[in-house]
Amino acid sequence: MASGSQKRLAKEYADCTKTPPTGMSIHLANESDLHKWHVTLEGPAGSVYAGGRFGLIITLPTDYPFKAPDVRFATRIYHPNVTNDNQGGICLGLLKSGNWKPSTRLLSVLEAIRGLLAEPQPDDPLEARIAHEYQNDRKEFEKNARSYVNHYAKGPVKFDVAPPNVNASGSSKDGAAPSR
Amino acid sequence: MTDDEQENLRDIELTSLTSIYPELQQVHADDRYTLVLDVPVTPVKPVTVFFPAAAEANTPGSAARLRDGAADGANGRPLDSHELAHLPSLRLELSFGPNYPAEEPPRVSLLTTPPWLPAETLRKLEGDAARLWEEMGRDMVGFTYIDHVQQSVDDVFGLVGDSGTLEVDPRHKIGILDFDMEARKAAFQKETFSCGVCLDPKKGSACHKMMDCGHVFCVSCLQDFYNNAIKEGDLANVRCLEPNCAKEREKAAESSKRRKKPRTFISPSELLQIPLEQDVVQRYVKLKYKNQLESDKNTIYCPRSWCDGAARSKKHKKPEGLKLSEPEDSESSDDEGQHTDGSGKTKPYNATTELLAVCEDCGFAFCSRCFQSWHGQFVVCYPRRKNGELTEEDKASIDYLKRYSTPCPTCAAPAQKTHGCNHMICYRCRTHFCYLCSAWLDPGNPYGHFNQAPSGMTTGCYMRLWELENGDGEDVGNGNEGGGRGRELGDDEEERFVPLIEEPEDEEEPEVVAPAMPAGGQGAAPHQGEEARQDNGQVGIAREGPLVLRIAANQPAGAGRGGPRRAPAPQQGQQGARGGGHQQGQLGQGPPPRGGGGRGRGQRGRGGGGGPRGLRQNNQANQANQQRGQQQRRNANINHDEAPGARDDQDEGDHDGGELNPEQRAWVRQFVQLALVDQEDILFEDDEEVGGWVVG
Repeated sequence: MASGSQKRLAKEYADCTKTPPTGMSIHLANESDLHKWHVTLEGPAGSVYAGGRFGLIITLPTDYPFKAPDVRFATRIYHPNVTNDNQGGICLGLLKSGNWKPSTRLLSVLEAIRGLLAEPQPDDPLEARIAHEYQNDRKEFEKNARSYVNHYAKGPVKFDVAPPNVNASGSSKDGAAPSR
Repeated sequence: MTDDEQENLRDIELTSLTSIYPELQQVHADDRYTLVLDVPVTPVKPVTVFFPAAAEANTPGSAARLRDGAADGANGRPLDSHELAHLPSLRLELSFGPNYPAEEPPRVSLLTTPPWLPAETLRKLEGDAARLWEEMGRDMVGFTYIDHVQQSVDDVFGLVGDSGTLEVDPRHKIGILDFDMEARKAAFQKETFSCGVCLDPKKGSACHKMMDCGHVFCVSCLQDFYNNAIKEGDLANVRCLEPNCAKEREKAAESSKRRKKPRTFISPSELLQIPLEQDVVQRYVKLKYKNQLESDKNTIYCPRSWCDGAARSKKHKKPEGLKLSEPEDSESSDDEGQHTDGSGKTKPYNATTELLAVCEDCGFAFCSRCFQSWHGQFVVCYPRRKNGELTEEDKASIDYLKRYSTPCPTCAAPAQKTHGCNHMICYRCRTHFCYLCSAWLDPGNPYGHFNQAPSGMTTGCYMRLWELENGDGEDVGNGNEGGGRGRELGDDEEERFVPLIEEPEDEEEPEVVAPAMPAGGQGAAPHQGEEARQDNGQVGIAREGPLVLRIAANQPAGAGRGGPRRAPAPQQGQQGARGGGHQQGQLGQGPPPRGGGGRGRGQRGRGGGGGPRGLRQNNQANQANQQRGQQQRRNANINHDEAPGARDDQDEGDHDGGELNPEQRAWVRQFVQLALVDQEDILFEDDEEVGGWVVG
C-alpha cells in the first residue's frame, strides 16, 4: 500500500507541476520526500488578496490518499476560513476527516483553496470575528486583509513556520509572535 | 443444374459464411451444411422489460437492479420492470438441404433459452428465410438472412413498442435477469477504467463497480481502504470513495421526494463481492450492529458481567451470519416502545411486556428495571442504584468524563476534544453538536451556533468556536497545561481574544483571593506561592489585587488582554502599571477609579483605618513588583514582613467590597503619580502621618 501511495503521489506531483493550477507554483520541500509540498499561491486577481504571494504547506500522511492531507498557510492571511495565527489552519470541508474521500485529488484541493481566497465562506468560519466583519463591515475587512497582504505576503514566500501538530508545549503561548 | 453445381454452390456459401462469421459452428459431425450461430440480443438502447403479474414472484437473488416496487408504469399500475441491455441470445440453426439454393429455401430453426421470445415471433422470423429466398430469386440467401436476423435484434424483433418497453412472461424472469447481469459483467471486464484512488488505468476485471452508485474503483484500492477502515472501526467511511457521492445521492433522493434516505453505506454482501475476507466482513457486521445498539439510548444490556449482550428488541435485530438488518425508520420504530396501539389509545400497563428483557446472547431473562433475574410481573422492584457499586477507579473515570468530555445530544456518547474548534461530529452517530454546551447543530450550518443569527440573536456560545482549541483535559492537545487555556491567555492575537467570557471551569486558575493571609499566616504562604506559580508565579501581586485592578479598570487596552476570565491580578497589575506610563494624564485627572468589582476589597476595613493601610500595602507590593518582577513570591513575604500590621486589617477588609472614599482616591492618585517618577517612598516616610491623614 505504501508503494501505491508513493506512486499516486508521484503521479499527482507530476500532474501538478506539469500543468499547475492558475497562479500556483509547486515544489517539494525536500527533493527526496514526496510527502511535503510547498505551494506558492498568488492572490486571485480581483480579490483583496491580489498582489500577495502566499505559501501553502501540504503535508501528506503516509497512508495518503486514505487519510486527508494537512494543508496550512505558511503566510499569514486575514481570512474568515484561515486561522489567524502562525498555524495557518484552513477550514475546508473536503479536508475534514469525515468528508475526505480517497479519490479527491490534490489538484482539486488546491483549486478549492484558491476558490476560498476568491470567495471566503463566512458561514463556515474558523475566525468568527473576521467572518462577522466580512459580512457586516466589508470595508474594514478589506482594509485589514490588504494590510495583512502588504505586511506578510509581499516578497519571497517563506515556508519556515512551526510545523503543524507538534508537541509545542507553550510555544503558542509565548513563541513565534510576529511583531506588528 | 447438376448435382455438382449444386454441391458447389452450397460449398461456396459455406466458405463465405464461415469467413464472415467465424463464430459459426457446425454442430452435426455428419452434416456439414448445418450451421449454428448465437445471435446476441442487444437492442440499440436498453429496453425496459416488465413481467406482468410477477410482482409476487419476487426473486431476491437477481434483484440487484430491481427498482424497488417501482410504480412508474404509464398507466399507473405497479410494474415489475427492469432496464436491460442484454437479453438471452437467439440460437439460429441454418441448414442447407441438398436442393438448396435452387429448389428449396434453407431450413431455419430459431431457439432461445429460456424460451422468452413468443413462439409466433420465432415462427415469423423463421418464415422470413423462405420469403427472402424468394425475393432474391431463389439464390444463396444465407448471409442476407443472418444479417436480417441481426438487424431485427435492434428493436427486439419488433416487440418493443413506442414506449420502449418489452413484455416478457414472468416465468423467464430469473433467467433473463441473470443473463443480463452476466453480460454486463463480461462487458465491464473488458473495459478499462482509471481508478480514482491509485490513478492507474485498470482492466474492468480488476475493478469493482459500486452497486448503489456505479462508481468504479480498482479492487486492490477498495480492499486496502475498507480493510483498514473496518480494522480501525471507522465504519462511517465504509462507503463509496467518490467525493460527494453520498451527498449527491441524498440530494437526488430529496428532490425525488422519497422519504426513505438512500443507503450510503455498503452492504456486507457487496463487501464480500469486492471481495473482502469473510472475517473482515463479519467484523463489519458486528461493529455495525454494536453501533446501532450503542446509538440507541434505550438499549438494555444483560446484567451478567461475563455476557454484556443486548436485550432482544424489535428495533435492532441481531445479525445472522453476514446479513445485517437495517434499523427501521425512526418514525415507525419509535412508537414501538410506547404502549400505544394504532388508535392512539394507551394500552394497559403490562409488567411483563414492559420489564421483561431477554438477553439475545445468553438468553438470560431479567427485569429491565432492577436488573435481577426475572421475578415475574407481580414483584415490585426498584431501579438499580448506579453509584453505590462503583469502584474508585470507575468513579475517577466518571469524574474525568464529567469534567473533560461533552456528551453527544443524540446518543450520549461522551466526546473529549483533543484539538480544534467546538463544532463536533459524534464519532458514533454522526450528530453535529457544540462542544461547549452539547447543543445539537444543524449539519447544514453548524457554525451558526457560534455566530450571530440573521435576527441578531446569539447563543451563549457566540464567538466561542475556538475556545479550548488545544483540547480539553490534562493530557490532550498540544501539551499546554490545562488544555486550551494556556493558549487562550497567551495568544498573541487580540483578534482572537473574546472579552467578558466566563470560563465554566476554572480549576487551573489560581483563585486570586486577595490578601488571604490571616494573622500568623506565614505558614500558608508557601502554599499560596505554589498555587500562584502555576500562573506566572506573581503571587505578591496576585494577593494584592485591589489597587492594581482599579488602575486596570481605567485602561481598556491593558484590560483587554487579561480579561477573558477574571484575569488574574498580576497581569493586570503589570499592564496597568505599564500602561500608566502612557496615560498618566488620564490616570491623574480622569474619572475616579472604580471599585474594581469583586477584587476591590480591603478598603472599608474596621474603623475605616484598615483600608488605606491595606492599600498601602498593595502599593508597596506593586512597586516591588515593578522593581523586582522576577521575585514576586519573595516580595510577598517581604511585604508582609514590612507591614505586619496590615494583615489583620486586610483580612477584615477582605470581606467587604466597596468604593474608595474621596480621600482614598486622592491618595491613590498621589501615589500613582509619585510612583511613576519612582518617588512614592515619600508617602511612607512617616507612617503615623499617613494613618492620621486617612482617618481624619
